[in-house]
Amino acid sequence: MNNEILEGLRKAIKEYDNEKAENLAKRAVEEKLDPLRVLDAMTVAIREVGDAFGRGDLWLPDLVGAADAMQAAMPIIEEEIKRTGAKRESLGTVVAGTVFGDIHSIGKTMVCTLLTAEGFKVHDLGVNIKAEEFLQAIRNYNADILAMSALMTMTAPEQKKVIEQLKKEGLRDKIKIMVGGGAITEEFAKEIGADGYDPTAPGAVKLARKLIGR
Amino acid sequence: MLKGFTRNFKPLEILSEEEIEAIHRGTLSVLRKTGVRFESKKALKLFEKNGCQVDYTDNRVRFPEGLVEECLQKCPSSFRVKARNPKNDMIWGGDTVYFQALSGTGSVDLDTWEPKTPTRKEYYDAITCLDALPNVHIIPWYTPWFGFKNIPPVMAMPEGLAARLRNSSKFTCSNYSMGCEVFNIQMAKAVGAEIRSSMAASPPLTFYEDAVENAFRTVEAGFILLITSGSVYGGTSPATIVGSLISGNAEIIAGIVLAQLIKPGTRIIVQDFSFPQNMRSGSPAFGAIEISLHQVAFNQIWRRYRVPIDGGVSYPGSKKIDYQAGYEKAITALIGALSGTNTIWIQGAMYGELAFHPVLAIIDDDMVGMIGRFLRGILVNDETMALDLIDEVGPIPGYYLNKEHTRKWWKLEQFIPKVADRLTYPEWLKEGKKDCLSLAKEKYQEILSTHKVDPPLTRSQEEEIERILKEAREYYRKKGMITDVEWKAYMKDLESPNYPYA
Repeated sequence: MNNEILEGLRKAIKEYDNEKAENLAKRAVEEKLDPLRVLDAMTVAIREVGDAFGRGDLWLPDLVGAADAMQAAMPIIEEEIKRTGAKRESLGTVVAGTVFGDIHSIGKTMVCTLLTAEGFKVHDLGVNIKAEEFLQAIRNYNADILAMSALMTMTAPEQKKVIEQLKKEGLRDKIKIMVGGGAITEEFAKEIGADGYDPTAPGAVKLARKLIGR
Repeated sequence: MLKGFTRNFKPLEILSEEEIEAIHRGTLSVLRKTGVRFESKKALKLFEKNGCQVDYTDNRVRFPEGLVEECLQKCPSSFRVKARNPKNDMIWGGDTVYFQALSGTGSVDLDTWEPKTPTRKEYYDAITCLDALPNVHIIPWYTPWFGFKNIPPVMAMPEGLAARLRNSSKFTCSNYSMGCEVFNIQMAKAVGAEIRSSMAASPPLTFYEDAVENAFRTVEAGFILLITSGSVYGGTSPATIVGSLISGNAEIIAGIVLAQLIKPGTRIIVQDFSFPQNMRSGSPAFGAIEISLHQVAFNQIWRRYRVPIDGGVSYPGSKKIDYQAGYEKAITALIGALSGTNTIWIQGAMYGELAFHPVLAIIDDDMVGMIGRFLRGILVNDETMALDLIDEVGPIPGYYLNKEHTRKWWKLEQFIPKVADRLTYPEWLKEGKKDCLSLAKEKYQEILSTHKVDPPLTRSQEEEIERILKEAREYYRKKGMITDVEWKAYMKDLESPNYPYA
């Protein structure tokens, strides 16, 4: 029975079926499955999708479809983890978002999906995120990594603003910062004092591991 | 005589009448049923006052068909625009076809193909080059580059417009960012030129406040408004070309309704700035052939609406000036021109929006010359049919090279490119095996040493431009949008003895 639910969840994610994923997550809670095992099953599924994307067998709509299905189940399982007080292992906690003034989400969503697949705990704040919202999330989640995206030249300086705000509030040294997006270059990343930059989503995952030494 | 080309034959069409009608009905249905989100209280109120259904919980506007049809009809189908020098004025609409330079975020090194931030001098020089090229009819916003070294991002647009007004007398444009349109409009007025500015949708079906605010300012200033839909199909519009067209046209029409409600009769140009999504990287698939299909259909529909069209963005996907860049640009530009757009963006653009180079603009200008020649078509009359001459020359040993008819007509018939390699093989070997890229590099130096803008700004115009720039600098500095570090570098730049040119 239990395995049937877990197998179903894996399948739902790999078949981009949000409704099925959500229903199975609810059933898992009803059947009192260990939420960490459920999370693990979902992570395996998303990793398989991420690997297939990396190999070129799957494409962006597949990756985003799987991420959506996982996202449909995730809040239910997270709630259960919180309720049971289970200790969740992760490579680290990431706060991610596209900076203020910029509403481009695709690159950021790809990075978040692949980071989740890798085993990071990711808090995707969305797009058009102000410096103070990043800072608040970093404090709330006690994040190890901040990942910021900006597609437009006009909004790229906003990344610098966030970093300066972190310095001002004494948080800069407690967190690793990675930046990306169409408007960002290696040179720019160095200039604004970020810890790393990569132009691709799979590269961003390797970078995240490197930054926290895991 | 005004600048530009005229298409002298029927445009290429790929949709049937029934298909156009279905797309039109579909677009009206999206406007009526789904509606468009406007993040602007001012716009929402104006829509509500004029009979639209406005939902203030999600800022969505639903448009009655009657109002849509009425506002489409209020758009002039053809109009004149004023450049700084009247010889560069243009008439948009009908069968005219204009080409405009296409900007890039930065420059590239032509040996290593690595990105490069241009200097102030390179920025001004590139504009001189665009002013000199005969087939660049418009030098639009962000052109040549989004900014240059030591310029704070908020000042990039006003500084760019000032540079274009100083080093060119062609028709130019300026866009919006952080309210800079206020300064741009002042500058255009100071030199007696009109500018085109834009109102860009954020697909799907959304307009943010900055775009709407710029539309109000541009329309109220009496300038020309370009309304843009720039989706990626599969990401921000349906993956199908026709679905994407309907979604994009609904955005553009919503923008037209707003502009015509602000001021009836406003001069509008509609722009198709859509690309398929690269399903590996998520970025737009620059140089893809689907762009041309989208544009041909867009052109066909908007010719029916009788609104002037900007429907051919010729970005290559290639990162180099190479064979791929050549075919990508040629295919999109030629198909756009044949299918009845009034405006095509092309000269100078390299990979996507990421790079521009004036040397490439020179090569592109030859391509545009070829397209322009094609658009002129074939002139058929007694003189060009040359029946008397054919009779006079007769069979061999008759020939045509020594005839007056040849001397008169060959130059009118043939387009001669400036930097394309057209040497015979032995000549080419002897001349050092130069390709069009090396010839264009030489041409660039020649242009910089000989070309002068006609006319230069008068002293009082120059003072006025500088006064407006100063006001913009102080405004953004006071608002905290220029940091101390940025300000220091910027001020140092302004102290250069050759300011504003270097």
